[in-house]
Amino acid sequence: MFNLPTPHIGGPELFVLEFGDIVAYFSPYTALLFAFAVLFTVLVIVSRPERQVDIAFGGDAYYTKEVDPDLLRFQRFMAIACGLATLGAMVTGDVFNFTLFASMIGITNIGIVAAYRNRHVLNAAFQYGIVAMLATVPLFGGAAIILSSTGTLSMWELFGGAVAVPLIAKAFLVLGVMGEGMAPFYIAKAEITRAQGAPFILMVHVSSLLLFLRVMEIVISM
Amino acid sequence: MIEYLLFATFIGLLFHGIHRKVIARVQGRPGPPIWQEILHALKFSFKETWIPKTASRALFVGIVFVAIAIWSGALFILLTGGSILLLFAIYLLHKIVEHGMGLSTGSPYTKFGAIRSVISAASELPLLVTVVAIYFFTGSLSIAEITAYQEMNGPLLIVAFPAAVAMYLVILSKMHYGPFSIIEAKEIVSGNMTEHFGVWRAALEVAYALKTYVLLYAFVLIFIGALPLWLTLILMLLLLISLSFVCAVTPMLSPYDTVTIQSLVTGALVIYIVILAVVMG
Repeated sequence: MFNLPTPHIGGPELFVLEFGDIVAYFSPYTALLFAFAVLFTVLVIVSRPERQVDIAFGGDAYYTKEVDPDLLRFQRFMAIACGLATLGAMVTGDVFNFTLFASMIGITNIGIVAAYRNRHVLNAAFQYGIVAMLATVPLFGGAAIILSSTGTLSMWELFGGAVAVPLIAKAFLVLGVMGEGMAPFYIAKAEITRAQGAPFILMVHVSSLLLFLRVMEIVISM
Repeated sequence: MIEYLLFATFIGLLFHGIHRKVIARVQGRPGPPIWQEILHALKFSFKETWIPKTASRALFVGIVFVAIAIWSGALFILLTGGSILLLFAIYLLHKIVEHGMGLSTGSPYTKFGAIRSVISAASELPLLVTVVAIYFFTGSLSIAEITAYQEMNGPLLIVAFPAAVAMYLVILSKMHYGPFSIIEAKEIVSGNMTEHFGVWRAALEVAYALKTYVLLYAFVLIFIGALPLWLTLILMLLLLISLSFVCAVTPMLSPYDTVTIQSLVTGALVIYIVILAVVMG
């Protein structure tokens, strides 16, 4: 037992996993997020994509799009990688690791979408890519400010209350995570939804929402 | 727990029926009987069920179980006095249910519902404002500690009124036939639920009933306090009727107006939080 300092926020510590000086932890909150990430990663592994039905406007005709097996394999690979990165981000006890997982989620999300050969979807992926790249500056900048002002990146230390984390560092962390996928950049995601492969595209949303939920816990706890 | 789950489902379905009845009476229509939604859930349970040929089968079925699981979990959190951060997480995860339901079928109607769900992501943020505001006042996110705080200091409804308004808006965003119900608008048939019929629809009705029960119960618990069950139910009913009035007199907004209004409200609430942070140090 390491005695998680913030049982009144995400619930008491349930289990810890030590990787040297990096200690991942499961509280009811992080365990729920982890379980949700596991569930959708399993769904990605076992699901086949839907076949989208498109209506030909101006008549009664409709047609079903075919699924390209190569595209399917690549999207599934990226979605599983995204799921694994999300799992790490949900339970890590280190701010730097969290930012690394967040940026990996951003990269894999772009991979899931950019695989689809449609002009609108590729445009959206391009815009999303630019936003995600820009967002790495506040994301890692936030972690750097925390390290320089407190001398540690361990959440066990930062949550304790003995060190004061600057508000700007918290704001940068949230901004970075938002840039990696959350609203208000969702408007690009509406275009992404055109892409085929519901279980894989859904992983884009799952990872972004879970990441946002985790950063909220981190920021409130610090 | 199982018996409380069944009770919450029954009350939630009954509340949906009362919601439809109140809307109808305000609009000068007789409306369906209040037990109509219970009958709906039973009817769908015995209808012929299959999975559309174009659907992603595992996701199509899995998402229904996820919907029931998350709202059952939310009820458990409320009953055990867990963290409202968990409740916020579940509310956000419901967004994934809406997306998954819409994207998994291949139908253009459900896909439009899913896209509308994506663009209305701002509807979730007021709940975050509620969470932060409550933390400012109580110093805790544990429901047990929040209710204990209210026993000592009076209801949070009075001292944190804007946060209560934010949560009211969150519940309104998820009500059927409301101004923000764009994901199930009739111009896209039933939106993201169009292709889920038969047993799948019955299960979704159950999940949505649980969702309504949990959200109303959470409002009473967080902003008024822990009360006897009968009094809690009466307050939940009054809250529901007020929401029904709003739904009855407000037309459904266009998707862009929905996003604009929700974003403006969220912006105003963020200003409230900043003021609160400055005032309370």
